[in-house]
Amino acid sequence: MLTRRSAVAGLSATGLPLFAPALRAQTFTRQINLIVPFAPGGTSDILARLIGPRLSQALGQPVVVDNRPSASGNVGADFVARQAGDGHTLLIADAGTLASVPALFKRLSFNVKTDLVPVGMVSFSPYLVAINPQVPATSFAELAAYDKANPGKLNVATSGVGAVNHLTAMVVGKHFGLNWSAVPYRGGAAAVRGVVSGESNVIFNGAIATLPFVTQGQLKGIAVSGDKRLEALPNLPSFKELNTPVQDAGSWQGVYASKGTPAPVVARLNQELNKVLAEADVAAKIRELGSDVRPGTPASFASWMDKAMVEWGEVVKAENISLDG
Amino acid sequence: MDLIANLATGFGVALTPANLAFCFLGVLIGTLVGVLPGIAPITTIAILLPFTFTLPPASAMIMLSGIFYGAQYGGSTTAILVNLPGESSSIVTCLDGHQMAKQGRAGPALAIAAIASFFAGTIATIIIAVASVPLSALALKFTAAEYFSLMVLGLTGSIALAHGSAVKAVAMVLLGLLLGLVGIDVNTGLPRMTLGIGELGDGIGFVAIAIGLFGISELMIALSRPQDRTLLSVALSQLWPSRKELKDCLPAMLRGTAIGSVLGVLPGGGAALSSFASYAVEKKTSATPERFGRGAIEGVAGPEAANNAGAQTSFIPLLTLGIPGNAIMALMVGALMIQGIQPGPQVMTAQPQLFWGVIASMWLGNLMLVILNLPLVGLWVSLLRVPYRILFPAIALFCCIGTYSISNSQMDIGLMLLFALVGVFFVKVGAEPAPFILGFILGPLMEENFRRAMNLSRGDPMVFVERPISAALLVLTALLLVVLILPAVRAKREEVFQE
Amino acid sequence: MTRVNTADLAFGLFLMSVAAVALYLIADLPMGSTSRMGPGYVPRALAVMIALIGAFIAGRALVTTGEAFPEIAWRPILLVGAAVGLFGLLLPRLGLAATAFIVVLVAGSASKDMRWRELLLIAALLSTFAVLLFVKALGLPMPIWPVV
Repeated sequence: MLTRRSAVAGLSATGLPLFAPALRAQTFTRQINLIVPFAPGGTSDILARLIGPRLSQALGQPVVVDNRPSASGNVGADFVARQAGDGHTLLIADAGTLASVPALFKRLSFNVKTDLVPVGMVSFSPYLVAINPQVPATSFAELAAYDKANPGKLNVATSGVGAVNHLTAMVVGKHFGLNWSAVPYRGGAAAVRGVVSGESNVIFNGAIATLPFVTQGQLKGIAVSGDKRLEALPNLPSFKELNTPVQDAGSWQGVYASKGTPAPVVARLNQELNKVLAEADVAAKIRELGSDVRPGTPASFASWMDKAMVEWGEVVKAENISLDG
Repeated sequence: MDLIANLATGFGVALTPANLAFCFLGVLIGTLVGVLPGIAPITTIAILLPFTFTLPPASAMIMLSGIFYGAQYGGSTTAILVNLPGESSSIVTCLDGHQMAKQGRAGPALAIAAIASFFAGTIATIIIAVASVPLSALALKFTAAEYFSLMVLGLTGSIALAHGSAVKAVAMVLLGLLLGLVGIDVNTGLPRMTLGIGELGDGIGFVAIAIGLFGISELMIALSRPQDRTLLSVALSQLWPSRKELKDCLPAMLRGTAIGSVLGVLPGGGAALSSFASYAVEKKTSATPERFGRGAIEGVAGPEAANNAGAQTSFIPLLTLGIPGNAIMALMVGALMIQGIQPGPQVMTAQPQLFWGVIASMWLGNLMLVILNLPLVGLWVSLLRVPYRILFPAIALFCCIGTYSISNSQMDIGLMLLFALVGVFFVKVGAEPAPFILGFILGPLMEENFRRAMNLSRGDPMVFVERPISAALLVLTALLLVVLILPAVRAKREEVFQE
Repeated sequence: MTRVNTADLAFGLFLMSVAAVALYLIADLPMGSTSRMGPGYVPRALAVMIALIGAFIAGRALVTTGEAFPEIAWRPILLVGAAVGLFGLLLPRLGLAATAFIVVLVAGSASKDMRWRELLLIAALLSTFAVLLFVKALGLPMPIWPVV
């Protein structure tokens, strides 16, 4: 392991000055920690393990994935916020969740906007809205009619109070006049199980993970978030066509650095990240995970964060959710 | 027959030299990781994940699942030898397994653990091959109400785990339930008893609490005793279980396998219950229940069988429904997805090579593990001859590294230290930690499911008796209570009459 | 023998104090009702039950005789405890190699028949072994050398 790693590091170190001369000075002197604020196995974790080795080749230093799990990812984000701003500690996290925590927690130990420096967006995966097939509906309109006829029967399974799929379900439900009740589960897998077993009956969940249940008839698809339809389920309308609120809700993954990281370092990290994402096999693996690669500049990521923080802040306020009493 | 053809397909995949090698590599890494206290199989699987990106899907799954059940075998070794439970199922193995080791019977304890695991693994593999579809249908019948009733049954049974004062056992269960609630309340998202510490949001880490309470406190107490030169207070007796012991263990292994196979199918908490349930059943049906907790070999055989059967059948929801039952299975889903395979109900028909190949490899892996572990028994036992003054600093160091590695948190080390001190206190006042741990595991599940059931029924408690499985579980609980209380009542009455 | 069962008395008091701390910590959490439980309902019910059972055990201990409270050997508790604490404090700064060495030295000195020269050797061996096994072979994300 070690020998291969250092060989690769040596190769890329000699290769580096050939390109990106403007960024040549931004070298990395020691191991880079890529913090995942969730337990192993989640989307952020798998992306980190996919991208980490490639970034390591590009930056000439080992990139070590370091899981610091906690609810909403606050512990890992706080850890990165407190590290020296030299680009040697990075955070890969769900950007939507990170954009919603300032509104959810009154006493947050770090400031999402000022303590974390957006490096670059990685990927986007839309939600598939699905229901248990026993509910006689095929669209939001029919769901609303069913809800009116059978008040108190619709329960939307969420992966936790304040989770992005909870916020999305509430604001989209309200848009269609649905008065469903949110049932929180311990994570997404438990929520899917709750809907497949009929305990709850609606779910907003990652498209690719939900797709097999829909194609096998264990769940029924209603709609898909984002601006385009799914290739596999061309009959389902997108949120954009339905003109819903929070149209780009879903799982957005992004990379951040610590406060004070100089702009040239951020630029170098962004450049290498985008290069990794442009590699055909990396993009293919990310597509297998049900996500689209969404590379961008640090500036575009920062403005996405600003917009998302405002958007989710409003939803949280309207739903009156507070996660720290 | 379909089954034969399917199994032939499976063995065709699993028996290729490459897949045999990956299976062996997996169980070998798993054994190593299991033996090291605190190092979780999930950490290892996550670290090895990038390596599997380049493997064919079946090979990747075969190796990763090998790590998972290899760790189950390895975990019991540490539990028996040095009283260190790395996961919930090993707690029960500690109870009688470590007692056996202290009595110089570490050999038979380790051997029976391996034999029981293999026995259960074989039967569970057949069960997966034959009955995974009906069993997954059963798993889907379990909603919040059923889970709540199952947890009530499990907690009632936990009192049977104690062999001392029943009042103290009840106090310990309650204490465990309370500590299990530390963290974010699933139903409202509010933190409870976290002292504002973010790391405690996910609750107190199981590994920190178990290794502190069992492992480190054991070191502190063992060192305060008049110095034993080694862990053995008596000479080592035979290395293998006697024919009579094997015969005594067979029914325990059968019952354990049955309990584990059924409970393992239930995602979220089922597998954790299985070894406790098996222990309680063995103790209650034994003609000599007083031997339990003092080195009863059935108290090792039954729970080990239950644990391994449960580990095996916990693949059923993943393989047939695409729903991961625990964190490791969730990671497997990720591993499959990155391979371009969407785990879900279609895997069995769309990917028969993968599905049956993994199942066949499970049996092969279990075979490898028993072949690997039985010769190792002698080696492990000789570890007990290492002078204790050399062994214990190593144990302390490995416990620290393992606990830290769970979430790379100093907090977990602090908690481990706190619970080590609490563990010393518990021993001094004669309170047993096993019921505490079971309460700790079941507490949050019980409350979560109770409140979810009430939320879904819009506040109608009849939901627990209207649903047949839930009602049946509650009736079982009532019967168990009678069985638990009657002997005590009868004893009291005899006392009264004698006076 | 003592006039009160000191071990039971200590356990009873322990239970009561844990219950008191829990009740204090959850004082602000809403109770809800039996059919609509709030986050405070179950912990409060448990804490009250623990307090009651603790009071029962303590009360019973006052009227029964028992052994004197078992003697506590403080040396191993303090030294093993200190070793664990040091691991948590030092690892992120000093790295695994030095931390492991120190932890083994401190823990090892808890044994009465410890020999210094042997212990130094064991500490060096275990430190090397831990770095090779956990960081090199298993790939755990821990620093090996002091972090500057």
